[in-house]
Amino acid sequence: MRRSLVLVVVLVGVLMLSISAITAQEPQEITFTGWSINEGLSRDVILGFANTYAEANSITITPVAFPFNEYLNQVILQANGGQLSGAVQLDVAWMAPMAALGVLRDLGAVVPEGVYTDAALQSCQVGGVQYGLPWTTASIGMVANQELLAAAGITELPTTIEAFEAALEALEAYNPDVIPYAAMTDVAQLKDIIPWIYTFGGSVIAEDGTVSLGDEGSVAAVEWYASLLERDLIAADIDRFDARQLFAQGLVGFYDDAILARSLAAGNKPADLELTVVPVPHPVLNEGDAPQSLLWGHCVGVVDDAAGDAAADFALYLTGTPEVGISYFEQLSLPPTTVEALASDVVSGDTYVSTWSNEVTAFASPNPFWGYAESARMESLLGEAVQSVFLGDATAADALAAAAEEIADLLN
Amino acid sequence: MTTSTQQLSSLTMVTGKRERSTERLLLIGGFILVAVFAFFPIYWMLITSLTPRDQIFAFPPRFVPTAITFEYYADFFGNPALLKYLLNSFIVAGSTALSSVLIGVYAGYSFSKFRYTGRRALMFLILSAQMFPQTLLLITLYLLFARLGLLNSYWALILSFTSFTLPLCVWMLKGYFDTLPDELIEAAKVDGASQFTIIHRILIPIVRPALISTFLFAFIRGWNDFIYALTLGGPEYMTLPPGLVLTYIGEFQTSWGNLMASSLIVSLPVVLLYILMQRFIVAGLSSGAVKG
Repeated sequence: MRRSLVLVVVLVGVLMLSISAITAQEPQEITFTGWSINEGLSRDVILGFANTYAEANSITITPVAFPFNEYLNQVILQANGGQLSGAVQLDVAWMAPMAALGVLRDLGAVVPEGVYTDAALQSCQVGGVQYGLPWTTASIGMVANQELLAAAGITELPTTIEAFEAALEALEAYNPDVIPYAAMTDVAQLKDIIPWIYTFGGSVIAEDGTVSLGDEGSVAAVEWYASLLERDLIAADIDRFDARQLFAQGLVGFYDDAILARSLAAGNKPADLELTVVPVPHPVLNEGDAPQSLLWGHCVGVVDDAAGDAAADFALYLTGTPEVGISYFEQLSLPPTTVEALASDVVSGDTYVSTWSNEVTAFASPNPFWGYAESARMESLLGEAVQSVFLGDATAADALAAAAEEIADLLN
Repeated sequence: MTTSTQQLSSLTMVTGKRERSTERLLLIGGFILVAVFAFFPIYWMLITSLTPRDQIFAFPPRFVPTAITFEYYADFFGNPALLKYLLNSFIVAGSTALSSVLIGVYAGYSFSKFRYTGRRALMFLILSAQMFPQTLLLITLYLLFARLGLLNSYWALILSFTSFTLPLCVWMLKGYFDTLPDELIEAAKVDGASQFTIIHRILIPIVRPALISTFLFAFIRGWNDFIYALTLGGPEYMTLPPGLVLTYIGEFQTSWGNLMASSLIVSLPVVLLYILMQRFIVAGLSSGAVKG
């Protein structure tokens, strides 16, 4: 009797231990933190994917949303407070500061061979470690209002700086109320100067990791940018928001934005305005040069905790399932990252997207500051330097040299 | 001579009248200018909240909308998440105001009418919380609440808001108690009133205007806060300011019509409170300011 009792107690103990072990290995609840899960159209689409996955896998996915402008600070605070868990939506620009926190799991082992494009995978890596799975990858490229260009007598999209300047002058002559090129001139978004620095043969951070800002090409690019302002071909204090709204009103010839520029213009334009948005690869200095742009995109990272396995599986479903990627593209116009989804008729048959992918994103490079935890401060220093040139407070050479010195301090 | 004096007198009167009416016109003009400056943003909010989506950014801007829509207001009241945020705002701001007034009235009375060792040091210590940037305190409070398991709760919001409103509430009420003559308290003591009776049956009815203005100050602080409500409240207990930003300001787009309509709705309770309690607020603030 006593032996039986002991046996029963041992069996119950083993059973309880097994249950707790299973529970520890396969949590029934994961958190999905993001900003898109609470924004307009994307909310229903993303929660729809999450619900489908949750039902199929008998788990609960709890969405946690923060506004985009506050997102990084909130997520960093959550991570430092030990509150961050599960899958986390991340902008490609935030991978380095998030990786520096040491809370993200290396997902290299869960990435299936040949599913994602190499460029997409690289956009979610920091120092070669796969800290996130690519959800959408594109670039910040230039778009143009075809009707406005035609009205100003511009029949061909400019491919060189010379042709671009001629097009801008034609737009200015056609209607002085039009901003020919709504380039970012607000200090917070002056990082848009970087592709122009590359266009003029300059660089920001050299291959050996030293700061090269202030070289001949970067000085030439900033001088050119400032000359556009002097000639009223670009306008002062323009940020992306202003540019989008003015473009949608038919008051801007060219501006730089993410691939969503087409749908944003369609959503904001007056009903009676004809507006055809076309992607324009950044004009180059000499025929044959590669058009420059910066990578843009979203990744899904996974916090390295007990829920990490389940969260990684969900992240893989969300980003790596071709049907999900195609549906995401159809509903939100955000390009997928898998080879299969990109090759699908839906994606490849869209001229706007295929032009953007093949002629803009194909040559895009990551922002040179992204690899550093202090990237936001570095971008600010660059922006302030360019602004001081706009204001006539410093020459391009002096302003960039001063910024380079401060950026070098941050690198060290 | 008499005629010329009369003429001079009537001329002086006419000139005086003219000067007075010029002054009056200038004053009215000044008031109109200030009113336009103060109310134009509110007017712009109102018309944006009534303008159909495709006309909000029409160029040149229209000061009177050519078409009107109430869809943004309907969106607000048809969105359960926003109504939940609204309820959270009432709970958090109301609790913050109540706790600030409740603690503030006793602390203010103590600082005003009692003399004890460390009184002045304590008074300035209470104010010291106001001297740190709130962002710094946010990080500390976040980590503290995380340890205590208070994050994502009403408690996190009420405690943090109260910690900011309380110092000023204490000082406001102390200033008001300072204006009350000590003889009043002495007379009550002579009549055999206890401290409890003195404060609850004699002083609190007198300082009612100050309590109301203090309540409103604390309520508005709790009602308008953004960053603490976003960080400490979590999705379940978030109040309206972060809730509106979360709902209507996105990575690429801002729903200005919705945002303006919601902002007008959000400001209504505070405006109504001001209108209803205007008499007390003016009395409370001016009395406390006489002596402090």
